[in-house]
Amino acid sequence: MIVIILNEWKILVRNRSIVYVSLIFILSIISLAWMSNVQSENQSKAQAAAEKHIRSQWDNLEPMNPHRAAHYGVYVFKPVSILNSLDDGVSSITGNVLKLEGHVQNEIVHSEASQAITISKFGKLKPSIILQYVVPLFLIFLSFGSITNDKETGRMKLIALQGVSPEKLVLSKSISIWLYGLMLIMFSVLLQSLFGSLGLDAGLRLGLTFISYGLYYLIVVFLSTFISVSFINNTSAISLLLATWIVWTIFLPKIWGNTVEKVHPLPSRQNFIAQMKEDRSKGIDGHNPRDERRSKLEKEYLIKYKIDSLSQLPINFDGIVMQADEEYGNQVWDKHFGNNYLIYQKQKKLYQLSGLLNPFSSLQNLSMGFCGSDMIHHLDFLKKAENYRRYLIKTLNDKHAHGGSRTGDWRWTVDNTFFRSVKTFDYQTMLIKNHIGNYLFDILALIAWAIFAGSLMRYKIKRDILL
Amino acid sequence: MIISIKNITKRFGRFEAVKDLSIDIKEGEIYGLLGSNGAGKSTTINILLGFLAPDKGEAFIDGINVTTNVDSARKKIGYISENVNLYPYLTGLENLNYFCKIVGEDYNDEALSKILNGCGLYSDVINKKVGSYSKGMRQKVGIAIAFAKKAKVLLLDEPASGLDPLASTELSSTLKSLAKKGTTVLMASHDIFRVRETCDRIGILKNGSLIDQMDTSKVTTNELEKIYIDYMRG
Repeated sequence: MIVIILNEWKILVRNRSIVYVSLIFILSIISLAWMSNVQSENQSKAQAAAEKHIRSQWDNLEPMNPHRAAHYGVYVFKPVSILNSLDDGVSSITGNVLKLEGHVQNEIVHSEASQAITISKFGKLKPSIILQYVVPLFLIFLSFGSITNDKETGRMKLIALQGVSPEKLVLSKSISIWLYGLMLIMFSVLLQSLFGSLGLDAGLRLGLTFISYGLYYLIVVFLSTFISVSFINNTSAISLLLATWIVWTIFLPKIWGNTVEKVHPLPSRQNFIAQMKEDRSKGIDGHNPRDERRSKLEKEYLIKYKIDSLSQLPINFDGIVMQADEEYGNQVWDKHFGNNYLIYQKQKKLYQLSGLLNPFSSLQNLSMGFCGSDMIHHLDFLKKAENYRRYLIKTLNDKHAHGGSRTGDWRWTVDNTFFRSVKTFDYQTMLIKNHIGNYLFDILALIAWAIFAGSLMRYKIKRDILL
Repeated sequence: MIISIKNITKRFGRFEAVKDLSIDIKEGEIYGLLGSNGAGKSTTINILLGFLAPDKGEAFIDGINVTTNVDSARKKIGYISENVNLYPYLTGLENLNYFCKIVGEDYNDEALSKILNGCGLYSDVINKKVGSYSKGMRQKVGIAIAFAKKAKVLLLDEPASGLDPLASTELSSTLKSLAKKGTTVLMASHDIFRVRETCDRIGILKNGSLIDQMDTSKVTTNELEKIYIDYMRG
């Protein structure tokens, strides 16, 4: 088998057109990886500068009322990972900057597209585009050519006569082409690792990305070989191969994606905000409106402090009300965001099922997931940003309530010593080893496809004697 | 008998490509299977190669049944088709090396060169890519592959088709020299002159049936041509 694989590689290397195409691939991957990395670096630098600037503004706030500071708000940034330059997934849609302020739960305010200096209607080209669309197409042509050439010219007969079983011959040829695909993905992965120091998590992510693409390429090569062996008419074989590629990469993801959105629809942004606003003012269940909540709280505090009016309170009741309202708002947000999160989980599970029909969907899910640019990672960022917002607003409200002012004293201020004591948002991307379960179905779908495609190929070769 | 074909019949649907064919060829003999297109020559060769299973009858190579024990039988066979298609990006030497390695024979370059030289390919061409070879040169590499494999039987399907007279004569002399060393050759062709010049014995096939056999030493080329044409017209 090794002799056949080495021979196939020797032929690939001697074939100038393949060498030129490979060079084009390698140069494209290098240039795209480099450009993406420069872009990511610039974005990281811009983010770091903006973070520093914003923090500096916060630290140097003029003495002001904490509630005013809550409305002043802060911006938080989702860090750009080195892996994002391999596959930026949904980042260009979701954006990576949030404004956090009192009463207002985080909402994406700056999508990456809106931050771009230049606008491209063609979208961004990342190495993942080449690795997901172009390389598999080339592997299809290589597999098809490798089998049909040997069949047409009678070389397969000659090799079979040397005592090599057709099964061994075809398997060796497939593996040699698969190794070519692996070489390209290995090159891309190594290239990414050259652009920056990798931690354990990023290393693991790159390894998993390599395995995912490796499995997908194996499926493509096995299926291409199976179809090339099955058809006597070469035009029919290559047409079916190209049709499969188009259906897998273009039609099925769109059709399935639209179906998923129809089956498990997310509320529109307007509806989402309107419902939150209504729940916040009228109560989650419609029976606990804001005014009633405030009266109840007032009574509680009058009893607690054994006083007749709020003016006798040693603390600032406005801060208490604001924090209570904030906490109520948090419940409302948890309800709606939690509902959206559940819908998203359902959508994801249903979309993952498409991997049974279309391994390309599984590959896309895994590529985005392992590069940290899918919705799971974005939702994690949103959750952590919201937790930080709650900490920030509670700190400010508590200061307003217990910092020394009295109810109604809106002119009371704190200086920047207090503002400086507020912790900065420090987002740590989730560790992939703790969330691998989210991607298990996709991995299993790819493994199942690889076994299925390999079995189809073996079955066909055993049945037909490759005349 | 090194090649033994016993009452073989092969059908493709309703069409009978080979009908009850029986031929015995002894060791070191060059046997020519003469017939027009569609006479059943290639089908017979493919049955002997184990690529087609006969519907009836049996075929043996050196006593091994090719239908039931194809892998063992193939070890004894060398095969030259009308177009020997080797790897065009590899040299003659590399092609021979590859075909030897996959059969488990590991020769050094010197030994490989010697084999190629013995088949009429010399050092000026053996290191050139096969893509630049003529048909005759490719056939010589094909013969070298069979020789290196130490094949006891060489099956040739229309080997002289498209060869220039010099290459054709060289092929005849190479086959004769292999036969002298003990290789048995079965050559299917419709080239009366080449078959007469090369073979020890001839069988004429028509519509899948063997209609005559003769020693080439007992007929001239003109006589053979007349016999052949009469059979084809009759």
